Amino acid sequence: MSLAGVVRKDLLDVRRSNLLRGIGLLYLAFTVLFFWGTGSTGNPDMYISLWSMIAIAVLLVPLIALVAAYLSIAGERQSGNLKFLLSYPNSRRDIVVGKLIARSVVVGGAIAFAYVVGLALALYYYPEVVVGDFVAFVGLTLLYTFDYVSIAVGLSAATSTRSRAMGGAIGAWFFLNVFWNAFPINPNTIIEFVAGELGTSVSQNAKDLVWSLSPTGAYMNSMQLVFPDSVARQTGQNQWLDPNAPFYLEGWFMLVILAAWLVVPPLLGYWRFQRADLG
Amino acid sequence: MVAIETTALTKRFDDVTAVEGLDLQIEDGEIFGFLGPNGAGKSTTINMLLDFHRPTSGSATVLGYDAQEETDAIRQRVGVLPEGLELYKRLTAREHLELCVRMKDAAADPDAVLDRVGLSDDGDRAVGGFSKGMSQRLALGMALIGSPDLIILDEPTSGLDPNGVQEFRELLQAEAESGTTVFFSSHVLSEVEAVCDRVGIMNEGELVALDTIDNLREHAGSGGTVELTVESVPEELSLQQFDGVTDTTIDGTEIRAVCTTTEAKMSVIRRVDTRSTVTGIVVEETSLEDLFNEYTNGEQEVEEGDTKRTPEVIA
Repeated sequence: MSLAGVVRKDLLDVRRSNLLRGIGLLYLAFTVLFFWGTGSTGNPDMYISLWSMIAIAVLLVPLIALVAAYLSIAGERQSGNLKFLLSYPNSRRDIVVGKLIARSVVVGGAIAFAYVVGLALALYYYPEVVVGDFVAFVGLTLLYTFDYVSIAVGLSAATSTRSRAMGGAIGAWFFLNVFWNAFPINPNTIIEFVAGELGTSVSQNAKDLVWSLSPTGAYMNSMQLVFPDSVARQTGQNQWLDPNAPFYLEGWFMLVILAAWLVVPPLLGYWRFQRADLG
Repeated sequence: MVAIETTALTKRFDDVTAVEGLDLQIEDGEIFGFLGPNGAGKSTTINMLLDFHRPTSGSATVLGYDAQEETDAIRQRVGVLPEGLELYKRLTAREHLELCVRMKDAAADPDAVLDRVGLSDDGDRAVGGFSKGMSQRLALGMALIGSPDLIILDEPTSGLDPNGVQEFRELLQAEAESGTTVFFSSHVLSEVEAVCDRVGIMNEGELVALDTIDNLREHAGSGGTVELTVESVPEELSLQQFDGVTDTTIDGTEIRAVCTTTEAKMSVIRRVDTRSTVTGIVVEETSLEDLFNEYTNGEQEVEEGDTKRTPEVIA
């Protein structure tokens, strides 16, 4: 009952936020432009388009989710709003779980809506659309979205002020999105360097695993569950085709990593939040 | 039954002790005023009762439930107006009340509550446009939802105009008459004086006084002063021999005695009356302000200029 109250309050409040409306529309605009643009020229292929959509998702989804949720708890804690919820039969766990659900619904809803419009455009423009795979792609993207909502809510639960929550959100974005998967110096170059200094080497499989441990890495590699072999070959993802790949590089293990990101950050945030002095 | 009980309740922040060894017991059905200057530890105490803050040591129960372990049971039965409460600017007054009703599973009608706190015309406005006083009244209305057994209010009248304070006082008294225990903190003493059965005074994290206002007056070491105007001042009055007379001064035909008790005042009046002809009497009672200053400044002397003149007996 009380969990439902927290969720309800948050949905009621957040849907009136112009910032959230704005970023939701931004994602919709990108999706529409993309499917319209690719669809109205030449002979578009759904898989190649979705492959390009991954890049857009990796760029925008973390930002949208972090912006939508980094203040969810810390902001209310600093302003005193939180005392309202905690003056009623809501536990601190209800607050964390309720915020997680409400913000996931809002951000996930915006992104799902953008893809519904995208699917409609694809059905109209594209010669062939495999709806099942399109939906699976959207499902994985939503899982990726919820990961970042979880990270943001966890950070928000662990911090006491708006500015710290913002610092945490920016830090998380840089560390997980830029440093881990797209920076010249990244965990793998560091591991290689250390291994080289120690006179050993690291297997490619190990490095692929490290790369896949971030939400973005796991999300991108989870796409082997969606894309047929021909597309994997076409886009150069030969490791997806390797029959001898270890289990930890298979598609299902990517889901395990994505699920861990869903659960661990809010747990850590709650662990800090439940012992904190509020207000 | 005991509504609130704290046992050696202590809260330290890094190097500051906000509350030190607080033992407090609030009986069922009373209106209790929790007094003290800003920073005395009132809000910290209330925050610990509501589990916003975790005590460093000691324990507290609210309505018999442990303040740390049984928060849901407490929050279900208690109405709260916390210090520094911010409402949701984007939600309307009615939406706030509906949420409260929902979260408490209560059978209250939001419109009736709006009416009760004088906001019946503003129910559909977003709270972001409310004045401080309107927000405070809405917050009070929210605290009253679900017929709580106890209401805890932290500085409830801040931001209210005198009319609002008066209405608020009446609301509190009506609640108390229906059997609700009221615990509220304030640094505005006149409010407390008017409605409270008992008060506790906090200073620098410690409870320095806990009693009814009448008893506090009596024990505070300053019942007030007696000023007698006489035709001629007799010699050898020896007023200071009476118990409870702490100081006497004679200025022309005026005799002034500082007394700690009403009995002492009477003794002074009788003695002077037998020795001389009294033409005028002014008896001053110490106001709560003076009491408060005494307790919180650690002074036991009342400056003459500070006493509120409340003529008690004019002969």
